[in-house]
Amino acid sequence: MTELEKLQASCFLEIGGCDNLKKLDALKNSIFGKGGKIVELMKELRNLNNEQKRKLGSEINLLKSGILGKLNSKFHELEMKELEQKLLSEFVDVALPPRPEHCGKIHPLTKVEEEVVDILSSYGFVFADGPDIEGEHLNFTALNMPNHHPARTMHDTFYVHRPADDNGRKLLRTHTSPVQIRAMLAHKPPLRVFSIGRVYRSDYDATHTPMFSQIEGLIVEKNVGFSHLKWILADFLKKFFEVKDLKMRFRPSFFPFTEPSAEVDINYKVEGGKIIFGEGEEWLEICGCGIVHPVVLGHGKVDAGRYQGLAFGFGLERLASLKYGIPDLRGYFEADERWIDTFGFSHAIR
Amino acid sequence: MKFSVNWLRRYLSTDLNVYEISNKLTAIGLEVEHIEDPSVIFKNFKLVRIKDAQKHPKADRLKVCVVEDAEGNESRIVCGAENARVGLKTILAMPEAIIPASGEILRKSIIREIVSEGMMCSPEELSLVGQKGGIIELEPNIDLSTSVAEVLGYDSETLDVSVTPNRGDCFSVKGIARDLAAAGAGKFLISEDIVCASSFEFPLNIHYENSVLCCKYAPHVAFRIIRGVRNGESPKWLKSTIRAAGFNSISMLVDLSNFWMVDSGRPTHVYDLGKIKGAVSLRFAKSKEVFEDIKGNRHQLLPDMLVAADEESPLCLMGVMGGKRTACDENTTDILVESGLFDQISVSKTGTMLNISSESRVRFERGIDKNSCVSGLEGITELILKNCGGEASAICIVGKQPDSYKEVTLEKDKLNSISGSSIDWNASKLLLEKLGLKETKSDKSRATFSIPSWRSDLSIEEDLVEEVLRLKGYDSIVPQCIDIVPTGKDEIIERKNQIVGMKRLLASRGLSEIITYSFIKQNYSEVFEEDRSLIHLLNPISTDLGVMRSSLLPALLLSAKKFLDYGSTDVSIFEVGNVFYGSCEQELQMTGIRIGNIHSRNWLEKSRVADIFDVKGDLFSILNYCNMDDRNIITLNKAPSYYHPSRSGAILFGHNEIGYFGELHPKINKLFDFSEKIVCFEVLLQKLLWSQARKSYINGKIFPKIHRDFAFLFASKTSIGNAVNAIYELDPLITEVSIFDCFESSIIQKSIGISVTLEAVDRTLTEDEAQVVSKKVIKYMESIGGELRKK
Repeated sequence: MTELEKLQASCFLEIGGCDNLKKLDALKNSIFGKGGKIVELMKELRNLNNEQKRKLGSEINLLKSGILGKLNSKFHELEMKELEQKLLSEFVDVALPPRPEHCGKIHPLTKVEEEVVDILSSYGFVFADGPDIEGEHLNFTALNMPNHHPARTMHDTFYVHRPADDNGRKLLRTHTSPVQIRAMLAHKPPLRVFSIGRVYRSDYDATHTPMFSQIEGLIVEKNVGFSHLKWILADFLKKFFEVKDLKMRFRPSFFPFTEPSAEVDINYKVEGGKIIFGEGEEWLEICGCGIVHPVVLGHGKVDAGRYQGLAFGFGLERLASLKYGIPDLRGYFEADERWIDTFGFSHAIR
Repeated sequence: MKFSVNWLRRYLSTDLNVYEISNKLTAIGLEVEHIEDPSVIFKNFKLVRIKDAQKHPKADRLKVCVVEDAEGNESRIVCGAENARVGLKTILAMPEAIIPASGEILRKSIIREIVSEGMMCSPEELSLVGQKGGIIELEPNIDLSTSVAEVLGYDSETLDVSVTPNRGDCFSVKGIARDLAAAGAGKFLISEDIVCASSFEFPLNIHYENSVLCCKYAPHVAFRIIRGVRNGESPKWLKSTIRAAGFNSISMLVDLSNFWMVDSGRPTHVYDLGKIKGAVSLRFAKSKEVFEDIKGNRHQLLPDMLVAADEESPLCLMGVMGGKRTACDENTTDILVESGLFDQISVSKTGTMLNISSESRVRFERGIDKNSCVSGLEGITELILKNCGGEASAICIVGKQPDSYKEVTLEKDKLNSISGSSIDWNASKLLLEKLGLKETKSDKSRATFSIPSWRSDLSIEEDLVEEVLRLKGYDSIVPQCIDIVPTGKDEIIERKNQIVGMKRLLASRGLSEIITYSFIKQNYSEVFEEDRSLIHLLNPISTDLGVMRSSLLPALLLSAKKFLDYGSTDVSIFEVGNVFYGSCEQELQMTGIRIGNIHSRNWLEKSRVADIFDVKGDLFSILNYCNMDDRNIITLNKAPSYYHPSRSGAILFGHNEIGYFGELHPKINKLFDFSEKIVCFEVLLQKLLWSQARKSYINGKIFPKIHRDFAFLFASKTSIGNAVNAIYELDPLITEVSIFDCFESSIIQKSIGISVTLEAVDRTLTEDEAQVVSKKVIKYMESIGGELRKK
């Protein structure tokens, strides 16, 4: 073993035995620094001839890069070790709960209204609006409910303390149907409008609240009849309840503002306490509809000889209750925290 | 309208069973709400004879009976009734029977160690009236194989039909049968008109008091006297028939009148002639006149109510209800029978005012056959003569039968266009004729019909179309797709969607949506009234819901109160809804409140009570959602008076107030009984501007930004929040301004830290340029009272 080989072996041994970065640094210094082993070795070159110089020089260089390589890899090794030590000391109990994030809920009527708007818009219906405080004329007379109609009494309808005007005494609309007249007066047919809003009736028990919400649809066009009404309601209900098939029963009924009039039932069954639509043999009333009465078209200044109207109406709460299994009607307006928590929707659900 | 199927079969010959009849009725618009099937109700009941009765070995008052049915099957029954004796025939409820009175299901039971295999029923347990105490005692010669339903007077299944208000004619079994027959459910069995022989002249003086007015309210009334009737207990068939229709048996005369009303749809009234004093006049009630109705309720009458009165007092509220004074009883022998036509509206008004509902009122309100006064009187006369004996007088008529003849023309095209399909014309005409309409003239494209007197609801072409479609069946019309026309931009829907977006945004910020009534208690609303006048309801459901809300806040506060009462400590809720004020103004608002901590207690952070800057944040999140430019928004310390005067603000966009936020005034806390601090925000949604505009994007190199921080001292009560907007205006290089620090540096001074970011789109800014802008900022801040803090 030559001197150089001995030197390399002893350096390698020392490097290998180093257990921290500080020692390794000192060691590096003792090898390459001033008065270090390599510097001492270089001094010997002075006494040699050129050829010897070249030979020894290149041997020393080889030795240097060998030791440096060893040093670097040791450096890296110790660095990693120390980092690992440090990270291990940075312990966090990851099983602790996350930072709290409190989100509110959207009222189910908002969600269902959005769904209904989406479906009706897709048929080309545009939204028509009307005020909650209406006049007697638009709420009753124009809808073919004459003066003596029982619904007009104080027993059934809320009147407000404001002077009557051309539109009659002021009242809280009992249905969204006055919007039909407003829409017909505002736009010439052909017309395809719908409305959603609050309506009021003097009734309060387990199945009635003095305020509730209605959806109203109206088509005034030339070639539409009962067969089209059947199609649109069937299509709407299938989309709304998200079912492929739905049996419907159109029952003749009576509304002053439509002739002929019908009530619509859909089939369902109850399974495991849940209502399933489109299956089973039970019937559930869901909507009222009909062909707009010529008197109503007349009040809307529509030529009943040229145009025909289709109208339909739903209760929004009823749709919501049936689709999402919400039991008590009163819950919708009586803001109980648990009710909102149970039946409300996350803002992220569309 | 309730009636038994056997009753219906008197007018309808049909092979259909009760369920098929029921489906048909519903399909033609006479919705069956309920079918009462006695064979189902009395499924586990049977007639038995007590064969043996011994004292219970372990109980003095109980007996152990052995009973035997028609087939000789025996059961052992423990019974406590004193009248349980050998040979008695009675009704046994077997295990699984549902006891009508309680609705409970009977089970086999062990009574003092002896098994009882059923229960012998008392009348009460079967909801019967009459015999009191003990078990039912049947007639000794009754055949044990008779069905329990028959014994108890249930002659067949009963249908309960909901009749729509336009169908007065279907408030009769006859009318329902006619409709069913027209729809193909069987053959209508027409009854012949009856004429009863009169034995003597009509002896009583009956007249209108004021013929002009009375003629309008009671245009046609027919009377007859019958002498020598016996008014006893009704025969079994009559009792069971009217029981099925929902009437209690009173006496034969009353029962017959009720029977005839349901049978023919024609109400009649029977007076005890012996109790009538002198002449009878048809007149309006005198002011404050008192009338005691047949049930014994006393009413104070009003002058527009029509009565039949003798010389003493009113005898009957015409068309609504008879009086007690001339009610028939077991001693009645001579009677006055009335069959009249009364004005729909007047009957309805009288009934509503006095709160009297009667079967007669219901029929007059919906409209009865205008030609039925005389035929109806003949019909009831025949029934009375047959069942109670006696002899009838000639008929006395007051007024005259109104001319109700009318014709309606139906066009073939109309029928097709309303149905939206092609309908068989001849078959349609046939359907109408089956309803009693008569074709008077016709050609290829149209037909004219005379309308029968009992169908006053048919007056226009569309009515006839409905009749055809209804009888054909709505289900037979094949659905037709409508043309889907693409609509342009619908601004209202876009707006609605944006509001839903805002709701979702608030929910993501921790607020839950509630919806409350549009009306509220006055004293809760008036504190939020400001200069808006409240709209009162004339007839609220209760004073708690007496005025239209002029603010969403009171209902939110009441809800929050409820949340807290349930044990919550933190509440954050909002509502979007209309408020109402002035002369019926309606305005859409969005209001939210926060009470308690922003987050629930947790290990990461100290809990923090929601303050006005949280709700200001809620408000600004909405403004940002609408893309409203921050630089045009300013906050002024002038919120409405229900806010804390110095911890609240109004938000202005340009010159428009668009919202408020702040802590509520302690007077509100007191009124609503809150001890917690309440912060809230209100957004006047109709005043928000919706901007679709985006900032213009500059495509190119990005140059470095320069940040400058400043600290200024201000007098502690200076409002510097709006300075941010002003700083933006100082120089176009300023792209961001924020207040990063604000603290009270002494009692009289506060320190404000402001960070300003400078950026140019076309070059790297020089230190000199930054210096110029910095000087402008310092100069401006000094102009509003600030003093630059030296480092």
